[in-house]
Amino acid sequence: MHSAWNDTAPIYRQLAQQLAGQLLDGEPPEGAPMPSVRQLAQQYLINPLTVSRALQSLVDEGFLEPRRGLGMFVTDGARQRLLETERTTFLRDEWPVLRDRLRRLGLGAADLNWENTQ
Amino acid sequence: MNTHPLVEARNLTLRYRRGKRAALDDVSFTVPKGRVIGLLGHNGAGKTSLMKALVGLKSVEGELSVLGRKPMRERSQLLAELSYIPDVAVLPRWAKVRDLIQLMSGLQPRFSPERARQLLRRTSVGLDDKVKHLSKGMVVQAHLALVAAIDARLMILDEPTLGLDVLSRKSFYEMLIDEWCDGERSVLISTHQVEEIEALLTDVLMLDEGKLVLNLSLEAIEDRFVALSHHPDAAAAVAAAHPLLRYRVQGGQPAALFDGEPPQQLAANAQRFRPSLVDLFVALTRKPELAPRSQA
Repeated sequence: MHSAWNDTAPIYRQLAQQLAGQLLDGEPPEGAPMPSVRQLAQQYLINPLTVSRALQSLVDEGFLEPRRGLGMFVTDGARQRLLETERTTFLRDEWPVLRDRLRRLGLGAADLNWENTQ
Repeated sequence: MNTHPLVEARNLTLRYRRGKRAALDDVSFTVPKGRVIGLLGHNGAGKTSLMKALVGLKSVEGELSVLGRKPMRERSQLLAELSYIPDVAVLPRWAKVRDLIQLMSGLQPRFSPERARQLLRRTSVGLDDKVKHLSKGMVVQAHLALVAAIDARLMILDEPTLGLDVLSRKSFYEMLIDEWCDGERSVLISTHQVEEIEALLTDVLMLDEGKLVLNLSLEAIEDRFVALSHHPDAAAAVAAAHPLLRYRVQGGQPAALFDGEPPQQLAANAQRFRPSLVDLFVALTRKPELAPRSQA
């Protein structure tokens, strides 16, 4: 039931990350409204205060903007900025780990299949 | 709507027998509006006694105000103004669900029969079902729908998920979020399903042998308690820093839970993670089997 949450970060951070991942896939697209706090609380079975905290952190990062009386909307250029943030995070946090593993396995760029075929 | 807390409890103490350990020992807390508060504790920690005190079914020492009333003196008014499901909740077995709605309409001035029927439509319970033919999970769902149809600002639930299967628990949590998380009403809920309910809570009250060992919002818990997973070689250094709890995380990596910031040197060589409520519960409450037996 709570399988969506792990111990790596506070729950509101994990929800913010999940929502950011969806924004990156264009869900919802730029300029479109986010689901309401209530809808998200029901969908993820978490307290609305935690949902508000997650949305607020996405506002602070400039990916969402509150519109008076209408709720949260995806900002223009949010996708591009998210992509840049994700790229930076990948190169800083994930790539060194992946590179070390590739080195240990003795794998180089030529050994990897860069086409999306089986 | 006024801004007074829904519950104000100061120095609550309950002693069943002179000289015996107190069932509630100097317990103080407040319940503001718009909160979902988990009341956690081992069996016999005092959860049920505290809930009974709140609704005026148990007399306690100390100062207690619930919805601005003194529970012992104004019990009947209070019971008409809040929603309460005791741990031994039983609905009359001979009754049909339809009869219960009628019964509640007569007993509870703030009860809405339409609301109850609307809530019941989301469950698998039918209006013409007899209580004795319902499963345990369905009885709880029916009970909860009846109680949630009371227009009350405070709901007190004593182990509502006890004995329910996973699907019934899920629909209970959904109902809790849909019906009670509106920023005005507050819920006090005791449970052993700590992991499942963690994400639904705003605050935690933890009782251990009648004493309140934790009274914090989940946000404050994240700020105050630090969990570190570390290399086995660091075990001695970790032990020397006196963590609240030493345990293992998934994958067998040793971990330690600290109240406050651990020594900097330690933190630099370890990985920080989110302390779960279950780990905190284990750290802060004594296991009953480890408690020294009193020589009576």
